[in-house]
Amino acid sequence: MKNKIILFWIIVAITIASIAVIHFKPASLGLDLVGGARLVLEAVPSSDVKKITPDVMDSLQYAIENRINALGVGETVVQKVGDKRLMVEIPNITDTKKAKEFLGETAQLEFKEPGKTIDGYQEWLPTGLTGKDLKKASASTSATGEWIVSLEFNAEGAKKFADLTRRLVGKPMAIFFNGKLQSAPRINEEIVGGRAQISGGADGGFEYSEVKNMVDLLNAGALPVGANIIEENSVGPSLGADSIQKSKFAGLIGISLVMLFMIFYYRVPGVIASIALCVYSVIVFAIFKIIPVTLTLAGIAGFILSIGMAVDANILIFERTKEELKTGRSLFTAINSGFDRAFTSIFDSNMSTIITCLILYLLGTGTVKGFALTLAIGVLVSMFSAITVTKNLMHLVFGTGELKHPALFGLKESDINKSYTAVETRKEKAKFGVLN
Amino acid sequence: MANPDLMKHKNIIDVVKYRPLWLLISAILLIPCIIAIGYLMMTQPNHAPVKLGIDYTGGTILQYSTPDEVSIDDIENIRKNLVKEGFQTPIAQLIQNNSIQADNTKDAPKNIISVKTSFLGDTKGAEIEKVTNIVGSVVKDSALVQTNSIGPSLGFELLKNSLAALCLAFLGIVVYISFRFQSDYAFITLLTLAHDALFVIGFFAIMGIFFDWYIDSLFITAVLTVIGFSVHDTIVVFDRIRENNRFLAKKYTSDEIINASVNQTLARSINTSLTTLITLLALYFFGGATTKEFVLAMILGIIVGTYSSIFFASVLLAWDKEHAKA
Repeated sequence: MKNKIILFWIIVAITIASIAVIHFKPASLGLDLVGGARLVLEAVPSSDVKKITPDVMDSLQYAIENRINALGVGETVVQKVGDKRLMVEIPNITDTKKAKEFLGETAQLEFKEPGKTIDGYQEWLPTGLTGKDLKKASASTSATGEWIVSLEFNAEGAKKFADLTRRLVGKPMAIFFNGKLQSAPRINEEIVGGRAQISGGADGGFEYSEVKNMVDLLNAGALPVGANIIEENSVGPSLGADSIQKSKFAGLIGISLVMLFMIFYYRVPGVIASIALCVYSVIVFAIFKIIPVTLTLAGIAGFILSIGMAVDANILIFERTKEELKTGRSLFTAINSGFDRAFTSIFDSNMSTIITCLILYLLGTGTVKGFALTLAIGVLVSMFSAITVTKNLMHLVFGTGELKHPALFGLKESDINKSYTAVETRKEKAKFGVLN
Repeated sequence: MANPDLMKHKNIIDVVKYRPLWLLISAILLIPCIIAIGYLMMTQPNHAPVKLGIDYTGGTILQYSTPDEVSIDDIENIRKNLVKEGFQTPIAQLIQNNSIQADNTKDAPKNIISVKTSFLGDTKGAEIEKVTNIVGSVVKDSALVQTNSIGPSLGFELLKNSLAALCLAFLGIVVYISFRFQSDYAFITLLTLAHDALFVIGFFAIMGIFFDWYIDSLFITAVLTVIGFSVHDTIVVFDRIRENNRFLAKKYTSDEIINASVNQTLARSINTSLTTLITLLALYFFGGATTKEFVLAMILGIIVGTYSSIFFASVLLAWDKEHAKA
């Protein structure tokens, strides 16, 4: 009995610690609950970069991170997924248009020289001077008051630019941005000092927003390869908040009804199971916060389902204990053997659930992963709560005597000693504490 | 272990005696499912047994919320305008109608319109804006609240992964059971799983034919959860049979043992399913709109899973034991 009391206080301590964790650690909520956008980009090999290597991905990630930060929208995440994909998460936005404009642009700046003229079309040849040679870009206005992009080259770029302009005196030099000709000014003299500007000569001037966009993109760095958006999920903050409210409400109603059912059907053990269920929920949530598990809608569904499985362990145990009581055993031995006999069922069935969760976690995508993880944690904790918390409370509440009031278990006086005769080995008797 | 006197215990149901009845019920449940699956496999260009949603085929789903009433005409107008603007086979639906507010959040969405199109993956987001403008021209006070967009190649990859997950989960469970029980138990468990999986897949196929339900990645989760639950139940029954067999195999016939074991675990099976159903029903009635179909599939799946573990699995086991003796 002394051990039981110590165990009881350990359970109380774990519960208090869990409540403290829940109280002090902020929950990590998925984008479907707080609102926000998730984009998955896939790198596309180009004629320059034929194979997507880890190095290419590193520089792609770096450039994308820079761009996302330029959006200035708080805690963003850019993460590699697999070997040619990036996942970008941007909280608190629903309209991804602006973000996509930013991410999709490769921001390839190229300076080209004139080649042959074929059928009236001017051919442009690469010169080796690109956005990589830039030190910085900024927005400014020209003498005529138009918005222009001012470019400042680094040392190497300045040298290349000087060489190029010297070669092209009297000829036009084209500036391409993302493969589109922006302007092709005629070079009048060699330009030294490493400064240039892009005016929207081709389409009759730039808007300020266009200039700002180009400047931000140029400063963030060109993408080494193009990136296609292959997946987009965004949820508005109000819809997310609504989902949280609804899930909370559904969860509370579900748990309350389950507790009512258990108390109605199993009486005192039902009350104990309800307490164990509360302890269970608190521990599971604390673990969610410690790991931390990012809670999504599917994750919450997994948790609510795990409540069903946690209750199942209690039901198995109580049914078994009732059977043992019907054979006329004392409370202590009935509880012990009830637990012992229910355990193989609980263990085998939970193991099969965990196997399923493991496979789902390894092979599933985001949504499915969240579901599998919360369900697996729930099932593991439920084994602990059923075997430790329920059993401990049962012993403490019922003690070691005979069952004087069968109604406490929802049994009738007439049930006792009627249904079965129990026979067991000496070893089992010792284990269950049967006294001859 | 225990040595309950089987004859003292009154059986509530006789699983072995009414064997044809239980198998008939299974047949009544499964035949429409098989027909629906077969129908879709023959009529769909991709030969899938269910209608595949954008998670698997690629596509874009946009959801708009509005506090205004939305009529069927509005939905039809949205669809017509989308076709006029050159969107191919768009689908517009009202997926949440006058939702009850769980709390007093003023801006919680009341009505949600869902628009499904082929994949709008242009890097500028201009096509999505076009759809938003079309919806806005019909339902004035509407706002884009959710975007789900999956590229076609990614969709195919997800499909492959999901099928692999399903097969591996089957295999994992069967290997575990043949390790813990005998191999004939494992084989019967596999048949029981197939019974339940067929039902859930068939249910989605039927709903797909009549109500245009498309499956998403949560579908695989629903199937696997139902399977997991059914295995749970089946193991509890088998565990009892195994335990009773150990002591009583000489005294009673296998039919008697199976009958008694099913009856001994009956209260537990029903109570467990009930408590799980309570939580799922709470999710169904009070949870968000996005997980509704998923939850409904699980509710039905768990009912069938409980049925199959009590009646289908034990009937097969009784049949197997008789033939083993003969």
